[in-house]
Amino acid sequence: MIFCILAISILFSQRVTHNYSGAGEEQVGRDIKIKPLKNHLNTSLKCKTCHISEYPTLKDPGLMSCPRHSMYGEFPSSEEGPEVVVIDEMSENYTGVVFYHRLHSEMSEMGVGCTDCHHFNTSGPVINCRECHSNVRYRENVSVPDLKAAFHRQCISCHKQWSHENGCSSQCHLYNTPENQKNLTKDLTGKKHPKRTEPTKIIYEINCEYGNKVTFYHDEHVNLFRIECVQCHSSDRCVKCHDKKIKLSDNSKTAKIEKSFEEHHKPCFNCHKENACQKCHAGKEMARFNHGKSTGWILKSYHNRLSCMKCHKNQMPVKRLDRNCNTCHKDFVYGKFDHNKTGLFLSDSHKNIECINCHDKNDFTKNPECKMCHNDKFHPAHLPGKKRY
Amino acid sequence: MKDINRRDFLKTAAIGVSMSVFGTKFLKASDESPSGYRIGILVDTDVCVGCRHCEWACKVAHNIPTASLESYSDNSLFKEYRRLDAASLTVVNEFENEKNPSLPVYVKKQCMHCEKPACVSACIVGALSKLEDGSVVWDTKKCIGCRYCMVACQFQIPTFDYDKPIDPQIRKCDLCYDRRKTEKLPACVSICPTEALLFGERDEILRVAKNRIKRKPDVYINHIYGEQEIGGTTWMYIASKSFDNLKMPPLGNSPAPGTSESIQHGIFAYFVPPVTLYAILGTIMWLTKRRSNENKENRIEFEQEKKGVDT
Repeated sequence: MIFCILAISILFSQRVTHNYSGAGEEQVGRDIKIKPLKNHLNTSLKCKTCHISEYPTLKDPGLMSCPRHSMYGEFPSSEEGPEVVVIDEMSENYTGVVFYHRLHSEMSEMGVGCTDCHHFNTSGPVINCRECHSNVRYRENVSVPDLKAAFHRQCISCHKQWSHENGCSSQCHLYNTPENQKNLTKDLTGKKHPKRTEPTKIIYEINCEYGNKVTFYHDEHVNLFRIECVQCHSSDRCVKCHDKKIKLSDNSKTAKIEKSFEEHHKPCFNCHKENACQKCHAGKEMARFNHGKSTGWILKSYHNRLSCMKCHKNQMPVKRLDRNCNTCHKDFVYGKFDHNKTGLFLSDSHKNIECINCHDKNDFTKNPECKMCHNDKFHPAHLPGKKRY
Repeated sequence: MKDINRRDFLKTAAIGVSMSVFGTKFLKASDESPSGYRIGILVDTDVCVGCRHCEWACKVAHNIPTASLESYSDNSLFKEYRRLDAASLTVVNEFENEKNPSLPVYVKKQCMHCEKPACVSACIVGALSKLEDGSVVWDTKKCIGCRYCMVACQFQIPTFDYDKPIDPQIRKCDLCYDRRKTEKLPACVSICPTEALLFGERDEILRVAKNRIKRKPDVYINHIYGEQEIGGTTWMYIASKSFDNLKMPPLGNSPAPGTSESIQHGIFAYFVPPVTLYAILGTIMWLTKRRSNENKENRIEFEQEKKGVDT
């Protein structure tokens, strides 16, 4: 164990350089110049996301070495990003490529997002590939691929199937003259990826001892549970939709990929950790999620409009909460409580009476009663104020 | 005169034999690897896209006639498993990818440049030699075409110009010996679009390979082919599936020439077999001669006795 820690510390000490050069500009690892995010103290980031040292200072920020496995990056939307990018970094050796950035960024929204290509990009501006990837192949530090490889890996990792068909110069390396480049750019401008259709409900029919039908409400997971696409679709590649081997006449355009039990259930198991197969596998189509039915707590007016996370603070899977108002509403204590928050603005005569006068035994889950003071008034026909919501 | 000539002949023969015995010391493959810069090349089969540009570049670098680079995009060749031949010192083969059938696995094949090469050990004329940087090269002038190296190689790499009736040659990857003289990378490494072939110092390459496996444990199997196999090789492979399924021969970690050389350089060293053989033969001769002498003496004695009796 000690040896392991030692090894890691040696590794870091070799790879991290904290050279400070100029105002507000650090050098991380290789010669990458990164400006710190403006007002980055106010972001939701944890300090440890970027800083190793306990007490980072302006002179010695103690940043983690780059590249590393998971990085925080903020990117513009596909509309805000560039439409066409001309890649001619090594034009002295190779024919340049006119890359349609927008189409690709639209496609990436489905999967991993911008970080699929702009990997290891920290906050701030999008770093140019050549900042990390050397354009010399015969080099000493081979831990990072060279520029030629970096470009090709990004493209061919998806275009693997098609690269064979007509060779390099018929698909990507088309641009040779500035005029040609202009024409290509013109051709591509304005093109858009067709809108991705999202399913509302999928019923999987399978052979399974627990039940041969699995009902999956896709819209529920996206809109209600607010699960990001990446969480389930992280391993989806372009070939999932774009498989040339599948004829267009086929009903399904998507490729069927053999998956193991673990791979198949992984997206579900992310949240549904309980080992209860019958919850999903049933003999018939299952009903939509209903908070009242599943938990016994019927969501009414105000609560119904909240996102799950508003109450169930932690990420999916959610934890069961108790039913005391104070669990969420910390300020709901006598003296401090503002009744207006419930949506019922109490009239002046009711403002200063104690809770228990209307709410019997201080049980706020039950309907309030007026009989303590009024004989002829009942809830909810007669309200002690005005309802605003 | 005749006697002197015979002695001279024996003398030169003895010098010649001893030279050849000591000479093998320089070619001995099972010795400890020399220290210093050792080349390592990592083939990342997960990154390889099977473009076969390496095949084209190899042919161009070795002056082997070839078709245009565009013609290499034809992937119908992958239907059959291809072996090396005198006109192709490297080939790329396609293997099925169970995880994702639409993206097959491609494996490049060429001389592995073993740390302890069996071909060098088997070569009887010392045409093959292991250089300090780890590459295994051969000298065409010395080669007599015995093809022992082809039999010795576990990877079935060296090929023979069977088509050439006059002056056929043994051929295999020489890690672009001529290109490296001018500080250039081997042709295949240089052309690879995705740097699936990573060239560097062997230790550094191993470190990178281990790092890649560590970073993507769900992609790669935890095995670097060539790190330990038959004492280590210059070319090393990482892959997403077992190397047995990629037609990489399952080999132990002990170098192939180890056993044969321990016999050759142990029992056969310092004239042991000939000296023993001649000693045994000499003893037999001496014993037979003594016996026949004794018999002769006995007969003489017997005859003398007989004569004595007669007289």
